[in-house]
Amino acid sequence: MTDPSTFLEVAAARKAFGPVVVLGGVDLAMPQGEFVSLLGPSGCGKTTLLRIIAGLLAPDTGTVRLDGADLTPMPPHKRDVGVVFQNYALFPHLTVAENVAFGLAARGRPKQGTAETVRRFLELIHMSEFADRSVRLLSGGQQQRVAVARALAVQPKLLLLDEPFSALDRKLRETMQIELKRLLRELATTAVFVTHDQDEALVMSDRIAVMNSGRIEQIADPVTVYRRPATEFVLGFVGLSSRMPGTIVDRDGGRAVIETGHGRIAAHTDQEPGASVVIAVRPERLRIGPAPNSNAITVRFRDLSFQGSKALLHFDSDGNSQILAEMADASTDAIKPGTETILSWAVDDTLVYPRGGVAA
Amino acid sequence: MMQPRQRRDWTPLLVLPALVYLVVVYAAPLLGLLTKSVSDPMGWSFAPFYAFFADDYSWRVMLNTIAIAGSVTLVCLVVGYPVAFALAWARGWVQIALLVAIILPLSIGVVVKAFAWQIVLRRDGVVSQVLVGLGLWSEPKRLLFTEAGLIVGAANVFLPFMILPIYSVVKLIDPRLAEAGATLGASPVYRFRRIVLPLTLPGVVSGIAFVFSLSVSMFVIPSLLIGDRFQTLATLTGRSFLLMRDERLGSTTAVVLLAIAVTIVVASTWLSRRLGGHT
Repeated sequence: MTDPSTFLEVAAARKAFGPVVVLGGVDLAMPQGEFVSLLGPSGCGKTTLLRIIAGLLAPDTGTVRLDGADLTPMPPHKRDVGVVFQNYALFPHLTVAENVAFGLAARGRPKQGTAETVRRFLELIHMSEFADRSVRLLSGGQQQRVAVARALAVQPKLLLLDEPFSALDRKLRETMQIELKRLLRELATTAVFVTHDQDEALVMSDRIAVMNSGRIEQIADPVTVYRRPATEFVLGFVGLSSRMPGTIVDRDGGRAVIETGHGRIAAHTDQEPGASVVIAVRPERLRIGPAPNSNAITVRFRDLSFQGSKALLHFDSDGNSQILAEMADASTDAIKPGTETILSWAVDDTLVYPRGGVAA
Repeated sequence: MMQPRQRRDWTPLLVLPALVYLVVVYAAPLLGLLTKSVSDPMGWSFAPFYAFFADDYSWRVMLNTIAIAGSVTLVCLVVGYPVAFALAWARGWVQIALLVAIILPLSIGVVVKAFAWQIVLRRDGVVSQVLVGLGLWSEPKRLLFTEAGLIVGAANVFLPFMILPIYSVVKLIDPRLAEAGATLGASPVYRFRRIVLPLTLPGVVSGIAFVFSLSVSMFVIPSLLIGDRFQTLATLTGRSFLLMRDERLGSTTAVVLLAIAVTIVVASTWLSRRLGGHT
């Protein structure tokens, strides 16, 4: 009997290369059918974690369990874990169909069933007419689709994807994201997806694990990661924000008053009075003009970056902070550079982090 | 609209120096040799070839030549294939040391090496002593002046020409390919057979072409390691010109040897292209 919420369970996985600790004791649990992204900057350990799950790298300590079985001592070819590599790693001496058939042939599946499966997967990725073509003659997007089909054709218990879209241009990337998500849902595949692209993670994932220097800083659904970043790192890595340093001067229950260079700001936090903090607010939470029961600061409008349907407004403030607000494009016409304005936002939307520390 | 004038591509001219050099010092004399093999005082004649192929001894010499060259190639392949991987996968100083160990011996003359092998292969040589010591041989034997001794000695000289082409191909194989194979459920043996081996075949084919064409035409090594008792096409050609003063026979055997070598090179090029090589 296995707990359905821990179909995949990585426990205390640690890996160091010489003196460099790449992965510092990571835990990760996910139920069957879930799509989890490992999001983080390069060098954060996300690919190392992926390779440990695949068995391509042995952890120094820690275990990997899948569907109730301990994978840790198993070589990769016995794990039933598929991988889509960043450079696709298609077999250059084989055709499209032979690449997709490789895993089935390696498992000694009968030829006829294999041919049938290959045909079905080539149809799924719209590559049927390329079956007998050499993979060297394919475009990047086509190679990517073949790599996905090759990994899925053996119907692995778990699919790992290592930045599979990073070599594609933006338009194609968006198409492929939607296509992959549809395909994985159709096949009810459990997948771990490594990316450094926050938009990609937000679009694709059921949950996102944000990684930094070998640790998972937060694991949550995309909305929570964006709206309630657990740490200042997550706040900075996912989406934009304005940040102001301050000190907690008073607290009444869960509500604290913070002294900043812009005046006093109210926020919900359990930080004790006297603590040095950073407060932050997302750009789309800011409103021009005062509002009741809200935080407000006075700022000077500097310039605007037009982004089509919306605009990003840059403000300077006395507190030496750069303030960033997002507005619908039409509402920005009246503002002139140099004008002083009041910006306000709800107390609820004020994020508080200890300065240079961990959780709020 | 005027079509822009196509710029002349002068790149092919880069081979001109080599071409002139080869025509003057190689192609012209070779042509002379070819002509000599099919001409007699009366005019054109293929009589020397008829005579050559009608003689049982000629067939034995040809068979000797191909058998020795084939064995040398096989020994080089068996010994050299794993070494090419060791070389490609080694890092830093280990790789440099391996490369030096493989390439440096090329700078030692063949004559010197052959004399060294004479010492090793003597009745009281190292090989004989070791095999007797291990109890594999009941008494010391002489390997010098035997076919086995010739094969061992020649393989030693030509080994780098097998290792280097395979190494250059192995170096280009993406290590992710074997990993991809593993994650698809392929065992190490299956991975080697279906991924690594096919991708190294172009290197194997050119290594075979190098070693075979070198060992099919070797002259000094058999002269020193096996002597006149055993004739190959190359030694027979040499004897015809140098000792027997029979230019007709010499040019005939030279042409046969050339035909064999050219066949090997052409066939291997064709084969490596077919195998999807990087040529």
